[in-house]
Amino acid sequence: MVAEMTSKERVLSMLNRKQVDRVPVVTGSTMVKEYIEKSGGVWPDYHSNPEMMVNTAGLIHTDAGIDNVVVPFGMFIESHAVNLEVKMGRIDIQPSVRSFFSNPEEVKYDNFLEDKYVKTTLDAIKLAKERFPDAAVTAFLVAPVTLAGDLMGAENLSVLSIKCLQKEKQMQKMKNWISVALEINKIYARACVEAGADVLYYSDASASPNLVMPEFYYEVAVPAEKEIGDFVHSLGCPWELHICGNTTPIVEGMAATGANCLSVEQAVKMSEVTKIAGKVPVIGNITPLLMVEGSEEQITGAVRNALDGGAKASMLGCGTPPLSTSDRLKTWVKAVADWSAENL
Amino acid sequence: MDDLPAKVQELIKELDEAAEDEDLDKIKELTQILLKTGVDVETITLEKLSLLVMEGEEEMSQGWTRVAIQAGLDPFKTLIEGLAKGMSLIGAKYEKGEAFVPQLLIASSAMYGGMDLLDPYLKQEKNTASKPLTVVIGTVEGDVHDIGKNIVKTLLSANGFNCVDLGNDVPASRFIEAAKENRATVISMSTLMTTTMAEMPKVIHMLEEECIRDKLLVMVGGAPVTTEYASQIKADVSPHDAVSAASWLKASVLNYPSESARWG
Repeated sequence: MVAEMTSKERVLSMLNRKQVDRVPVVTGSTMVKEYIEKSGGVWPDYHSNPEMMVNTAGLIHTDAGIDNVVVPFGMFIESHAVNLEVKMGRIDIQPSVRSFFSNPEEVKYDNFLEDKYVKTTLDAIKLAKERFPDAAVTAFLVAPVTLAGDLMGAENLSVLSIKCLQKEKQMQKMKNWISVALEINKIYARACVEAGADVLYYSDASASPNLVMPEFYYEVAVPAEKEIGDFVHSLGCPWELHICGNTTPIVEGMAATGANCLSVEQAVKMSEVTKIAGKVPVIGNITPLLMVEGSEEQITGAVRNALDGGAKASMLGCGTPPLSTSDRLKTWVKAVADWSAENL
Repeated sequence: MDDLPAKVQELIKELDEAAEDEDLDKIKELTQILLKTGVDVETITLEKLSLLVMEGEEEMSQGWTRVAIQAGLDPFKTLIEGLAKGMSLIGAKYEKGEAFVPQLLIASSAMYGGMDLLDPYLKQEKNTASKPLTVVIGTVEGDVHDIGKNIVKTLLSANGFNCVDLGNDVPASRFIEAAKENRATVISMSTLMTTTMAEMPKVIHMLEEECIRDKLLVMVGGAPVTTEYASQIKADVSPHDAVSAASWLKASVLNYPSESARWG
């Protein structure tokens, strides 16, 4: 029997492959409309106001009982900081990147840390650490392949992912993009860790077999993810790797990156990927839409399926939908606690 | 093609090289020599085109489309039995899990590369061809992911549909306007994100409010969209991928009332 833990201890124990008092419940994004409104947040100010951001993100911990507090809200910060166009979305739609560069030399990141959204993230991390010392304060960051895709355009990334396997010149082109992305990743990672982040959560959405070739993942993405991961570890911080879609063909590669845990979505069979990942903890893979319209029975069923399949933490497959309701989030947390009480 | 005479095989190889180098004069010269050998140039060219598109060889697909034009082949036949067939071949592989999205994308570029060259010849014959059915296609408001939508559009185009592409981040009202303007047979909406799925029923409600829901079919798709969800929002179908979308639509329009019967 493990003594009761704080949320932070629980998450860090899971990431360090140690025993937990109950299975952690974590999230990768927390832009939940109900909590924004409840905490007095105003669109789009909560993207650039650390106080508003932490007030909203904190409710998912204090009200719903989720073990981490995650900032920022969306995968646009890095792109905005290198002057790409960003559409700010709505209160129920996350911001999105709307432009891209023609070549890596155009990407300027000397003043990356001066960007207002980067500054907001760093201030929000500091504030969250003060306010919620018992929670795992997590920075939500864009991983190298996805960032390279934002820089060059997702369709160009997809096409280049096959061409670079065929021609050395194209491979060099791809490596140049990835190299720029990694430089940006390192600047941002260091700043987040120095601000006090307990965990860095990297989403490499565009490294999915739904968008790029699996061979490309092994040949190019794994070394890139490992490079940023090793850098994060050298700063003394654990990191999580999320990739969207059916990641079954690449889980072995994901496990080789050195990530402290692998986050997968509902398109994969948990029992299958946990076997492939071996000792590396796999977390997931609750269908996000259940937090918007799922019944208690559906939510509990999905939680049990994932945990029975070997998941080491419960997480929504692909971010927390902005229209999630607090009662469903609480149902999710309760289902994890119930399963833990029966099985740990 | 292995059973062709050695001389012809050598010519095909030279044509491949000329196509890859985009050497137009050489393509012209070699096509004339190939025609003089007396072999079935049409069969060879159509087979080459379908394989090149399937493999995503854009320059070579364009080169062999020039061969087809130079040899005087029927442009519609070149499109359907050459270029579009290649797209269907890679689509079938994708459906079986033997190909991935990047392969569909480069095949799509190869097909469109050839289609651009055929376009002036196709236009000349348009008056004699039957009017294709129109699909209004787009990614819903709030979502900028349009790779899947583009693949659906490519496969629908390859199957003879006229696609009016509204792009991504398309407001619900724009789908309605475009459907009316183009007397559409189908509205095809996609989204990659759970966060923007709610835009789909919004479009369907607007169709109902405008009393035009029964004039067209509604197809919804994208990673988070399920058959149950499609049925719940009163869409007609949610095919599980682009290939199924094209197959379903081809079958569904067979007995569907004509455009004039629906739109007057």
